[in-house]
This record gives sequence, C-alpha cells and structure tokens, in this order.
Amino acid sequence: MKASMVAITGVGETEYVRASQNSLMHMLAEASRKAITDSGLKISDIDGVIGNRNNHSTDDLCFNLGITQQVFTAVTDVAGGTATTGAALQLAQLAIDAGLAKYILIPYGISCSAPGGPYMFHGREPLKGDLEMPVGYYGQPSYFAAMTNRYRYEYGLTDEELASVALTHRAWATLNPDAQKNQPMDYDEYLKSPMISTPLRAADCCLMTDGAGAYIVTSTERARDLPHATVTVAGLGIGTNPWPQSMVLTQNPNLLNLPGRKSAADAYKMADMSPDDLDLAQIYDCFSISAILQSEMLGLCEKGQGAKFYHAGHGMPGGKMPINTSGGHMSGGYVPGINLLIEAVRQLRGDRGTAQVPDAKVCAVAGLGGNSHSTTILTRS
Amino acid sequence: MGIPVFPPRFDTDLLKPFYEGLEKGELRMSACSTCGEFHWYPPEILHCHPEAKIDWRTISPEGVIYSFTTVTRSLLPGDHRDEVPFTVILVESDDVPNARIPSIFMAREGQEAECGMRVRLSPVQAGEHILPAFEAID
Ligand SMILES: [Zn+2]
Repeated sequence: MKASMVAITGVGETEYVRASQNSLMHMLAEASRKAITDSGLKISDIDGVIGNRNNHSTDDLCFNLGITQQVFTAVTDVAGGTATTGAALQLAQLAIDAGLAKYILIPYGISCSAPGGPYMFHGREPLKGDLEMPVGYYGQPSYFAAMTNRYRYEYGLTDEELASVALTHRAWATLNPDAQKNQPMDYDEYLKSPMISTPLRAADCCLMTDGAGAYIVTSTERARDLPHATVTVAGLGIGTNPWPQSMVLTQNPNLLNLPGRKSAADAYKMADMSPDDLDLAQIYDCFSISAILQSEMLGLCEKGQGAKFYHAGHGMPGGKMPINTSGGHMSGGYVPGINLLIEAVRQLRGDRGTAQVPDAKVCAVAGLGGNSHSTTILTRS
Repeated sequence: MGIPVFPPRFDTDLLKPFYEGLEKGELRMSACSTCGEFHWYPPEILHCHPEAKIDWRTISPEGVIYSFTTVTRSLLPGDHRDEVPFTVILVESDDVPNARIPSIFMAREGQEAECGMRVRLSPVQAGEHILPAFEAID
C-alpha cells in the first residue's frame, strides 16, 4: 500500500461489562456518538461508515444514529482484529484518497452475553458440527489450547512463562479504572484461575464482554483542524492464509503460522520503520498464545522467544516494550481489536494518566482475525 | 476420563461415509474421484477437478498426534459437566500428513497425550453414535 495520508481523529467506547442491558445497536450507536463528539464533529459531518460482516448493517446503524446525508459505505469481510485494526483503515484510506468521503465512522461491537455466546460463530459451521463438536473440540479456548501445546512441543514453554502474558496485561489493567478486571493478580492468584482446556486457564483467555468502540478517520490535512493531536496511520499491512474459518484452526499445516509476518513486514516497509522504532505495542490477545506468537511476528523478539520476552517483564509497566497498556482483551475487555486501537490512539495523544507510556510516539497494533492478520503502525505527528 | 456426548449434526450427508467407516473399524478420508488427491476436510467443490465427486478412501489407522488438549470445561451447547475431562487429539494418519482428524484420546491408566505420540484407531461408542478415537501404540 502506498504511503498513507489518513489519521484517526476521534475515539469512543461504551463501558465494557460481562452482560449489558443495552442491545448491540445501542452500544454501537453510543460509541459512535462519542467518537464523533471526540473528533469535534457533528453527526451531519459524517459522510462515510465502514461496518463489519458480523455487526449490524451500515444502513441500520445510520438510521439509528440519524445520519440522513449521503454516505459512502463498506463492510470489512475479515474477522475480529484484522477487521477493526487493519482492513477498516485500509478501506477508509481508499475512500478518502478517491474523494468518496471526508470523515469516516468505523464502529465495532460485541455481545458475548447473547445466546450461544462467542462460540456459535464456530458452531454454525457444518464441518465443525460433524467433525469437531462430536469429539468435544468446541470453543475458542480448546483451539488455542492445542496451539499452545504445539508451541510448547516445538519451542518449550514453562507454566510461569505462559502465565506471564496474563500477569503483564493485568498489571496494565490495574492502572485502568475502566478495565473489566483491574484487581491485581500475581502467579499464586493466576494458579487459582480454573483450568478450561489444558494448559489454558480462564486467566489465559480473553474476557466475555458486552461493549462497543468507534473511531473517526479523515485525511491528515483535515485532521490538523480538529481538536486532538494528529495520530497518523504510518504503516499498514494485511496477511492472509488460504484456509477458511472452518478449517484454519485444524488444517493449517503449521498451526502456529498465523499470517502475521507478512502483515508486519508490509507495515514496517510502508512506515519506513523497524521494530526498533516502536515505543509500545497493542497485541490481539484472544488467548495468551496469540499474544506470544504475535509478539514474535511483530519482531519484538525472535521466533520461539515470545513467552520468554513476556516472562522477562519487557511488556510490563516500566518495561522496554509496554504491551496492551489498557489490559488488552484478557483484562481490559474483549471488543475484538477496536479497544486495542483506541488505546493506541489515547497513548499517542498522551492522555493515559498513570498508564501513560512516557513520550509515546510510535505504537504497533497487531490484529489477528481467524485466517487473516493486520499490523498497523500509528504515529503522533 | 469421560466421553463427550454430542451427535454429529449432519446438516448434509457429506460426512456420513466417515462415520460408516468408523463403524467398520476403518479410517476413511475424502479424496477426488478423478485424480485421487486427498481433500480434508471434505470441500463442497473439489478445486482440482470441479466436476469430480468425493471418493472415500480407507487410510492407515495408525498415525501421530499433532497436538491435543484436555477439556476440563466443555463449552458444547447444553449441560456436559458429567462428561469432562476428556482429551481431544488432532491426529495425522501415516498416509496423509497434515490432514488432521479431531479425535478422542483413549488413555490407559495414568497415560497422557503428547505431540508426536504414535497412535492407532480405536473407535469408541458415545451413546447412540460412534466417535473417532485413538490409543497409544506401545
Ligand atoms: Zn482431482
């Protein structure tokens, strides 16, 4: 992708809770209104909306927000983190460069408390209904547990190293009053967390969250006239692999080979940067193993060293590479990808109070989404 | 150890030959009727020969565990608390590397699954239906 001329100028979030009284549409609309206001804009300024295949359609959303003007619309056709932290920004840049929109709203929400929970996404797959559910291989914790055991076999992984991911993200969450789980956790507390699917405990899994986030994208030129410091999309890369959602978690020849190396290489190239330029990172932590693998793919450490990198404390508050500074998906809230991107923007604005990474100027956001992966590098101009 | 009880859904008949094979103690895998290439899981369309049909070929009942997990909290719809723990293994038959069959590990006393462990097919009954299961080869 050519050099980006787009910036994120507004962010908004609902509260993140285990079970909300509000519908998904209510949460999407609330986060959207907050992002528009944060951007110094009005509903009537929005002329683009990018949704996602797993959320409400953009026409329903526009109607509920009172957007009556002509809007450019598009939908990201990838899952979770890739959609909200990569693909949506890519579409926004295309639309803005083409002159199709000036101020684009990108919302995303989730309702894990809905019937069937987050698992039915997989349960609807006929192949899983025939081949995986009968043997009890069902639910994301089991899929990522098998990846974890394979990682342990190939590279070695102690229980303490595995735990260090959850402990790192929790340490950040204690600095975030809005985090869903922000009470301190040490290794003894971690060991009390119930085992779900060996070796993953509840503490190794993302939270069950109801909530939504939203952000506004415009050109870097227009961003200068808006209230906040400009946060620019300096680099963006997307990688895919050739396995559909129904097969990627069993049939990928190397289950640990997420398409993150391609996305990171493309993002660094576009930004003309290397991992050495990063001040902090937000990494899609649906499970501890996902964060371990992506920390390696981002180039924070060598292949097979991700868990040791965490265990050395590098991602902790005060560490050399702060990771998931709002608590991430495991302690902050699970609103796939979007709350990680919003945290990156807040850090680069210097708005994060006790959790602020000093002099944060460059932040990578790694977004896993099933058979896809995005790396986005945000900078404060 | 327990056994999950959750029958195959069979939205279509696509996977029935796989289970019919298990009833006979055979491990079967889907392949292209024109060129014989294995396609696992069975796809709706065989991209090598779009006009071909799926052939079910009997393959080696011996193979290796690619990875595993012991499920201590079943997330299957409904109440399955009495069925845990059980160990799910992803097995690669010696005949078709990289094609993974989700299965149950039939552990002998004190035995635990491991990546790289050699296993042999040993289907197990779960209520009214049969499941792919494997036991370690000594
Ligand atoms: Zn063929």
